[in-house]
Amino acid sequence: MKATTPPWPVISRILAAVLGGYLFTYAFTAALARLLPLAKVDALVVATLASFLVYTLAILWAFGCRSARRAWAGLALALPLAVIGFWPQLLETLG
Amino acid sequence: MKQKTLTQSLSWLHTWSGLIFGWLLFAIFLTGTLAVFDKEIDAWMRPELPTQLIDQAEAAQRALDYLAARHPDASTWNIGLPTERSPSLSVSAGEQRRGGGQYLDPHSGEPLEARETAGGGFFFRFHFTLNMPRNIGIWVVGLAAMAMLVALISGIVIHKKIFKEFFTFRPAKGQRSWLDAHNATGVLLLPFHLMITYTGLVIFYLIYMPAAMDALFDGDRDALFRELRGAPAEQRAEAGRQPTLAQRGEQSGERAERQNGASERPAGRGERPNGQGGRAGEQSRPAAEAAPLTALGPLLAEAERVIGPVAGLSIQNPGRSDARIEARPVLGNRIELTKGQSMQFDGVSGAVLRMPTESRPSQLTQRVMAGLHFAQFGGYPMRWLYFLCSLASCAMIATGLVLFTVKRRRRHEAEGAVGALLYRVAERLNIAVVAGLALACVGLLWANRLLPVELAQRGGWEVRVFFLVWLATLGHAIVRPWLQAWREQLGLAAALCLGLPLLNLAGMVRGSHFWLEASAVALGALLAWTCWKVGQPPQERPARRAAKTLAEAN
Repeated sequence: MKATTPPWPVISRILAAVLGGYLFTYAFTAALARLLPLAKVDALVVATLASFLVYTLAILWAFGCRSARRAWAGLALALPLAVIGFWPQLLETLG
Repeated sequence: MKQKTLTQSLSWLHTWSGLIFGWLLFAIFLTGTLAVFDKEIDAWMRPELPTQLIDQAEAAQRALDYLAARHPDASTWNIGLPTERSPSLSVSAGEQRRGGGQYLDPHSGEPLEARETAGGGFFFRFHFTLNMPRNIGIWVVGLAAMAMLVALISGIVIHKKIFKEFFTFRPAKGQRSWLDAHNATGVLLLPFHLMITYTGLVIFYLIYMPAAMDALFDGDRDALFRELRGAPAEQRAEAGRQPTLAQRGEQSGERAERQNGASERPAGRGERPNGQGGRAGEQSRPAAEAAPLTALGPLLAEAERVIGPVAGLSIQNPGRSDARIEARPVLGNRIELTKGQSMQFDGVSGAVLRMPTESRPSQLTQRVMAGLHFAQFGGYPMRWLYFLCSLASCAMIATGLVLFTVKRRRRHEAEGAVGALLYRVAERLNIAVVAGLALACVGLLWANRLLPVELAQRGGWEVRVFFLVWLATLGHAIVRPWLQAWREQLGLAAALCLGLPLLNLAGMVRGSHFWLEASAVALGALLAWTCWKVGQPPQERPARRAAKTLAEAN
């Protein structure tokens, strides 16, 4: 917004929010659907319906937290969540 | 300290996401508002069709007579029955998928020639695809909806005195008034804004967020829908089938179909309980004997008892002993978006073969949310409520956009060349998006009546007029002085709205469209008032001082 500040932190934050936030939400939704003690289809629908709220909060968090680096660090939680969500597929790939 | 930075950064987010996506969101919301009355607009755009409602059984009999005379050998007959919102009767036969249908006069059964038009469905399609290739459009609109959600939540956070300021309105005070108007429309209808944005995302939930489907079903959409439906031996017709005119007669049905094409494969139609596909059915036809079709009157009555008002019928193998009749409900008999919730009868005996399926609770949740967005339930009072709430949403977005430029008008000199340029661009785009789009929308309706009826690809020309008008408003906004551009475009849009009833003089009109024309005149008056108001200079200080002394005196 101000011409004096370098644009990189802002761009990094936007990328973290939009792309990082989506990846986080994707992994979160997959993990939630896997963990919910419901029938497969029900868990899928419930987790997916909630995903837009998760994405919104992830975006707000990425902009609200103190630095872009922290935002990226938080969104890196996507990795363990993805491992939970795609556990069977992962096992299959590993042999 | 930290609290302050949070508010500041979210305020920054609110401003910029609101500005960048605000133009897009205004277009989505305005066309969505018009799409609430898509079928009424559609009927207005086909003035050759009568609007008087007629008994469905009688209309169905006329359609049957016509089909039996013209298409005795077709494998399927489709009948779009007259309903409250869409009183026209249309038929199609066989595998005709694209515009192969025919309107009939429900009283005489004679074919009617209706003009080719983009129809009210244009606003509906633009609302969720922006007239782009379908899949790209859906993603762009989805992104805009996410930006809206983010802007709404960040707006709540930065608006700390949300309750107190709701009762504050300082009219004719320039920037303060724009802020107050933005806040009032935003806060007053906050539940509506949140609901309409979230449920909009939910309609295409598996397109936007396929994570759970990828994790649990390896991304296999078909396997998922088989399990959701819980019926193993059903086969669905190929996706992306174009609706016929007969199905378009019940356009909400078409909506469901379009939704189906993306979020679910078309169910219901073309679906057979015995697991045969359409083609297999055709091959088995010679084996069946000729048999008369059952009377449609009692069948329609039974269907209406179970599923509510009926929007259309599909008759497979008419005149054969293996005939099947499928009755589709009007979308909006319940809040749930009932797509593919048809009911099937034996075509000869009239016995019920299949009752509509019930959704499981989780799927029902999704369908009710989608239904809340589609606003097909609750009849006309609910439709008007949605229309007025959406107008307020448009007003919130528009005032937010204007506020951005008004706020910076005093400041931009200090922000350097880039700031000044950005401010100018935003200022001009605001005019073209807000006033220009209104002008383009009403321009589409004028084009519908004024373009020659015999023009080839007429529907496409109407859409071209829409975009040319919109482009022209952008050019106009760039060359004219700022305030004049606003006033001239708003004024012209107002004049076109007010003059809409005059268009009936431009050709024969069989029905009466009183409510649509009255609404257009009312909207025209609203635009005219805005045009006049924009021209008024903001009141000067004395008014505020007077109010202050009054407050102190109390």
